[in-house]
Amino acid sequence: MNIGELVLVAIESIKSNRLRSFLTTLGIVIGIAAVIAVVGIGQGGRAMLMQEMEKFGTNLFGIWVNYQEGETMRPGDLQMTDITIIKEKVPQVKYLAPATYEKMQLRGEKGQKSVQIIGTNADYAQIRNLKTRWGRFIRSDDAAAGRRVIVLDEKTAQNLFGSGNPVGKRVMLMNNSAVVVGVIKNDSSTLGFSSQQIAYLPWSFLTRLTDRDIIHEFQGSAVSKEEVEPAMNLSKKILERRHNSPDHYFAYSMEQEMEAANKVTGIMTLIIGCIAGISLLVGGIGVMNIMLVSVTERTREIGIRMALGARRRDILVQFIIESIVLCLLGGLIGIILGYGGAMLIARLAKWPPLVSWWTIVVAFIFSMAVGLFFGIYPANQASKLDPIEALRRD
Amino acid sequence: MIKINNLSKTYSTGSFTVPALRGISLEIARGEFVAITGASGSGKSTLMNLLGLLDRPSAGSYILDGIDVSGLNDDEYARLRNRKIGFVFQAFNLLPRLTALKNVELPMLYAGVGLTERRTRAMEELTRLGLKERIHHFPSELSGGQNQRVAIARALANDPAIVLADEPTGALDSQTGVEIMSIFQELNRNGTTIVLVTHELDIACHSQRIIRLEDGLLISDEKVTAPLDAGKEMRSPAEQGDVQ
Ligand SMILES: Nc1ncnc2c1ncn2[C@@H]1O[C@H](COP(=O)(O)OP(=O)(O)O)[C@@H](O)[C@H]1O
Ligand SMILES: [Mg+2]
Repeated sequence: MNIGELVLVAIESIKSNRLRSFLTTLGIVIGIAAVIAVVGIGQGGRAMLMQEMEKFGTNLFGIWVNYQEGETMRPGDLQMTDITIIKEKVPQVKYLAPATYEKMQLRGEKGQKSVQIIGTNADYAQIRNLKTRWGRFIRSDDAAAGRRVIVLDEKTAQNLFGSGNPVGKRVMLMNNSAVVVGVIKNDSSTLGFSSQQIAYLPWSFLTRLTDRDIIHEFQGSAVSKEEVEPAMNLSKKILERRHNSPDHYFAYSMEQEMEAANKVTGIMTLIIGCIAGISLLVGGIGVMNIMLVSVTERTREIGIRMALGARRRDILVQFIIESIVLCLLGGLIGIILGYGGAMLIARLAKWPPLVSWWTIVVAFIFSMAVGLFFGIYPANQASKLDPIEALRRD
Repeated sequence: MIKINNLSKTYSTGSFTVPALRGISLEIARGEFVAITGASGSGKSTLMNLLGLLDRPSAGSYILDGIDVSGLNDDEYARLRNRKIGFVFQAFNLLPRLTALKNVELPMLYAGVGLTERRTRAMEELTRLGLKERIHHFPSELSGGQNQRVAIARALANDPAIVLADEPTGALDSQTGVEIMSIFQELNRNGTTIVLVTHELDIACHSQRIIRLEDGLLISDEKVTAPLDAGKEMRSPAEQGDVQ
């Protein structure tokens, strides 16, 4: 008797008791559906997170002052000359910009708004991947010429001037005025990172306004992904040497952040995957239980088949295949449900649905393995029956 | 065809043992139609199970179609059952969830016969037994007599050397019983060796030879001088069966 025939026999027997077969395999259906959905959602979520983080700029790194407890911020820890020197000496650094953060009240023709101010230079737009809606970003000659210019983001521009192009108009800030030279597009981040309203000033202009010569942070980008580590480490080393203060600086990169985020989503997927795996195990035990009941119920059938010439092996294989086919059907339904669930959630959360083909293949093989594993014991019981005993049973 | 020598079977249930067969020797030739009779508990079914290779004797030898079966393993037993023996049971023992056709196909399935040949042969067998219109029916949709005819078709599927029937008429009314006997007689006329177990003498009288058991011993072995003709019996009463 070949496998094809045995599969047909198994399908026949599963078909003849549809409801019970379905209930038997329900555990597998739920287990597989959960696995597919969880893995799909996890992968989709991760892809979206990566996508969001890319928006901050690629190959990004930053350097802070690593203040010890009780230390106060000292002007001069990060200096504009440091930037010039780092850019000169570290070829891996493509862009490097200062960033000084202040909160300020801005006033325009149509309204006022308290926004985050970043004092920086021309490189910042490249590093953070900023796109202009109107006008331009800060240019390197702004600082040299001592220009009192400001770049707004779209929302702030709207608050201060209403809709329309505000380039050339004046903004009042700290009893001074600045000319709007550009407006930055607000990108539609689903993670909500960019919900903050920001205006950009040339760094030198900001220090003149606040009368505080301080840089909170350097932000830079490396020439390539591979050069991020050396770029930030070499920059850090130069700072340490120039300021003669080892361990005074702290460098971070977007790559590291991504890896950390990746690790978190990976662990989440693993945990939920384990729970789903346990439900599969429980499903498998359910299948074994029903298969054992089925063997008892069908003792007479087994006796008849043996009388007609079925070998013990034929009976064994018949019940194992029945268990495998049952679990495969459950797995198939589970794959469809899980895939649907992942798609649905991806659509609701607006992230790319990702159920990779290997997830489906693994789910398929796994449900088959569950069927095999939990079918062996009942099938073995069936094949060990004594034909006469089995025939006498009713 | 069959040669048994001093065959005995003892069942042990817990502490005590039951001797079901106590040394039986007999020979059955090709083409014979033998009835084994005896009171209930005399060992008929035990003997049948041994002849049908469903069970192993406690002692004695059994040669089936020239093969000494004593040294064979379970798989070889299964193979011999499949190829050489056709069973007909009192309770029909059809698989309830399979159609008549599929039931008849079963022995061929285990013999490795391909699907189309299996189907054709099962169809032929069922047609021969007057069940052409019933091939797609399930056992629950058929009468007792029809079910037993499906079982006979199944027993014949692999063209066995011998048909073993244990009380095949036990679950049927007497008229249907006679119908079944006429089928056996017809098969026997065409050369099939038949061993029939029955405790009813009027059924046994359709055979050519009656073997009587008592308490696991063979007490008589007689030729039937004038076997009853089931075909004639069916025709003489007013109504006729639907057997050709
Ligand atoms: N599996 C068994 N275990 C114990 N005793 C059995 C078993 N099968 C049959 N017997 C005993 O063997 C004897 C013969 O039984 P059996 O061959 O079924 O008789 P018959 O078919 O002639 O009625 C009886 O006494 C019966 O009780
Ligand atoms: Mg009996």
